[in-house]
This record gives sequence, C-alpha cells and structure tokens, in this order.
Amino acid sequence: MSDTAPDARREKASGAKIIRYRGVIKHYGEFHALNGVDLDVHAGEVVCLIGPSGSGKSTLLRCTNGLESIEGGDIEFEGALLARDERSLRGVRQRMGMVFQSFELFPHLTALENVAEGPRTVRRMKIMEANRRALAMLAKVGLSDKPASYPSALSGGQQQRVAIARALAMEPDVMLFDEPTSALDPETIGEVLNVMKTLAEEGMTMVVVTHEMSFARRVGDWVAVFDAGRIVEQGPPEQIFDAPTTERTRDFLSHLGWAG
Amino acid sequence: MTFDWSVVWQHRDVLAAGTGTTILLTVATMAIAVPCGIVVAVLRLYGPAPIRTVATAYVELFRNLPLILVVYWAFYVLPILTGLGLPPLATGLAALSLNVTAYNAETFRAGINSIRRGQVDAAMALGMSRGQALRRVVLPQALRRILPVLASTWVSLFKDTSLVSVIAVAELAYVSMQIRSQTFRVLEMLTAMATIYWLLGYPQAKFVDWMQCRFKVTE
Repeated sequence: MSDTAPDARREKASGAKIIRYRGVIKHYGEFHALNGVDLDVHAGEVVCLIGPSGSGKSTLLRCTNGLESIEGGDIEFEGALLARDERSLRGVRQRMGMVFQSFELFPHLTALENVAEGPRTVRRMKIMEANRRALAMLAKVGLSDKPASYPSALSGGQQQRVAIARALAMEPDVMLFDEPTSALDPETIGEVLNVMKTLAEEGMTMVVVTHEMSFARRVGDWVAVFDAGRIVEQGPPEQIFDAPTTERTRDFLSHLGWAG
Repeated sequence: MTFDWSVVWQHRDVLAAGTGTTILLTVATMAIAVPCGIVVAVLRLYGPAPIRTVATAYVELFRNLPLILVVYWAFYVLPILTGLGLPPLATGLAALSLNVTAYNAETFRAGINSIRRGQVDAAMALGMSRGQALRRVVLPQALRRILPVLASTWVSLFKDTSLVSVIAVAELAYVSMQIRSQTFRVLEMLTAMATIYWLLGYPQAKFVDWMQCRFKVTE
C-alpha cells in the first residue's frame, strides 16, 4: 500500500534508507505470518509497528536481523541484501541492536557483565575496555548504581534498561525493539519509554513494535499498522491517529480506546 | 557369640588403602564422565544425524544395562575387542565411566533443553555464533541448574564403585570381603565397611542438600 505512504509528508525521508522491506513473505507451515510487506526505514527515523497480536509485527522484526528466515521478497540493510548464511548474518546482527519483550538478560551474569558480554565475546575487546564501555552504557540508561546487581535483583523496568544498554554496547546503527514494555508493570513502563525517547532524540534509527500508542504518537516519525501479515496503512503519526484512512486502522484504534 | 572388633584395627592399613581407592575411583570417574557427558549431550542435540543416532544409542544402551554387567563385560570382553590387557583398576574405571557418562549426558541434555530459546536469540542478536552462545550463555546456566543432579549422581557413584570388587579391584568393598574371608569375622567386617561408607557418604549427601538450596534457579 505504498500509495498511502507519501514521502512528501515524511520528515526524515531525505536520510539514507537503512532498511528496505520489499514483498516480504514468511510462513510457519500453513500459517502466513507475513504476506508481502513493503516498508522503508530511513536513517534517524523512529518507525513504529502497531496492530493486533499475531499480525506479523514481531515476525518482521525477527526477520530483520535474521533470527527468522524469509520465504519470499527482499530485506535490504544499508544497501545490501540481507545475507542468508550464518557467518554474514553475524556481521549484520552486530550492527543491529535488539531488545526483547521478556528482556532475556543473561541471569548468570551481573548487569555490568551482561552489557560487556557482546563487546568481549563478539568484538573480542579487552575486559577492562569492555567494562568501561559497559559502565558508560549503564550510566546512559540511568543505572550506574547497579553494575554488580544480578538481573533477578532488578525490577522489570531496570532489567529492560540493562537490556537496552547491552544492545547499545555493540554501537549498532539500528535498534530493534520487540514490545519492550509489554511485560512491565505500569509504573516502570515510563522509565523504559523515557530511555527510548532520549535515544530517538539523539538520532538513533529505531524500529519499535509497540502497544504504547501514546509513544508511537509522540515519538514515532512513521507508523505502520499491521493486520493479518500485511501493512494496512502507513503514514506519519498524525495521519494514523487523527485521520486514519482505512477502516481496519480505525477499528484497531477504537478497540484500544484510542481517542486521539 | 563373641565379637572380636580388634580385627578391624589390625587391618586398618588395608582398609585405608581400600577407602583411598574407592575415593580415587569416584573422583576419576567423575573427572572423565562430566566432560564426556557434555560432549555426548551436545552431539546428541546438535550433531549431524548419524552422529546423533550413535550418541543416542550409546546413552540408551548404557543407561539401561545393570552396572555389574558392564563391569563384567569390561573385564572379559573389552580386552578381546581392544587387544589391551588393562589392569583391574583401569577396567573398573572404564566400566564406571561408560555408565556415568551416559547418565551425565542425559542430565546435561535436560539442562541445556531447560534454557529457553529467548536466551539463545539474545546471544545471537548480539552477533554471537551458535558455539559462542552455547559456551557463554547456555552451558553456564545449564550447569548451575543441574549441579544438584550431578551431585546426586556423585553420591550414587560413590556407593556403586563397590561393584567393581567383582573384578578384584582393591577398593573398600573388595578389601573388606578379603579380610572377612581370611578371618571369618563376618559381622565385624561388614559393620566396619558399612560405617566407613556411611561416614563418607553422609556428609556428601548433606552437601547435595545444601547445594540444592544454594543453586535454586532465580530468574
């Protein structure tokens, strides 16, 4: 539905296209998780993927860094077609940070060790240097007082912020967020969203699967509405939330009680 | 009926040596069976199909044979198969290792399977290879989870080493039985043997209980 995506209304469309999805198709057996998805992500943009559960948003994110393979279409990252072999994919993943709904911190490591793990194991950085970087990243997410804490001793919001720091420690070009606040208590959602907002303001390119409509509204540069493995509408947040052009978008937003 | 407990004291050197051999067998068997168990478990989980089948066959064979049979088999058949005339201690060690490796492999496999997929996803998303994810993320967590099971295996093994007495390995059970048949002091020697096994085994069992509390998984 690229005709609903007039780039003229897209502020950061002048930036280089970091990710391009073209006709992306993904099956799980008989189930068609993605049914031909077209989407561009420009440098410095925050692209929010919204829509009902099971509509393919998270699947698209997992295909972006090759955690899932695709059956059809193309995904381009920084001008090159996404590799299919594990070795090249590892190189791509190092340039894409990923944050998961269930945090997935390593429970046997402290917060500092969690953040230093990528630089140490993947970038083969010396332990002192990796720790210095990890401390800086923890400070960035407001957790410089928790380096020695194990994940089990941290609140959900703190764990998710450590997970963001862990992804940032690899100095990625893009951050992928897979429902980062869905598993959080309401009172800790804000601290995670604030960290994400700061990142966005610093110019980080972000793809965010979210059910936080106010975040998508305020922070998003571009919003794509998913339904049944397709994008039913995409556009700037003002269009999606104030003047949706498709019945399906109106339907979805009204189910959420979105009142603009 | 009169008892003569002095027989135990008279043979203290032999009993001490036997106890030493029992401990040596336990430690050496575990030293072999833990790394080998990890290798077999990883091969069974991630190896190419033919190797997976071989690993599975090995585990299911040795897990379901009586240990005493494996001990006899190692004693009579292994020299024919390999052409090596191993001393009894090495033969006993081989039999115990074959058995305990199979058990440990199952324990490790269960431990690895208990780590949820998201952990591997998180490791891979950082750019780790499957091998790195296994070594840095999955195995350390799996090991913690199964430590109490490994400790239980250890305590069982400590007692099961007595089975290699049937091929004349001079461990605690064997030397006790030897002294019994030389002195005819049956009750004294069986009691002495029971006491030594119990005194060594009980603290180990308590240690296992302590570990089960200490390494309870917190997430």
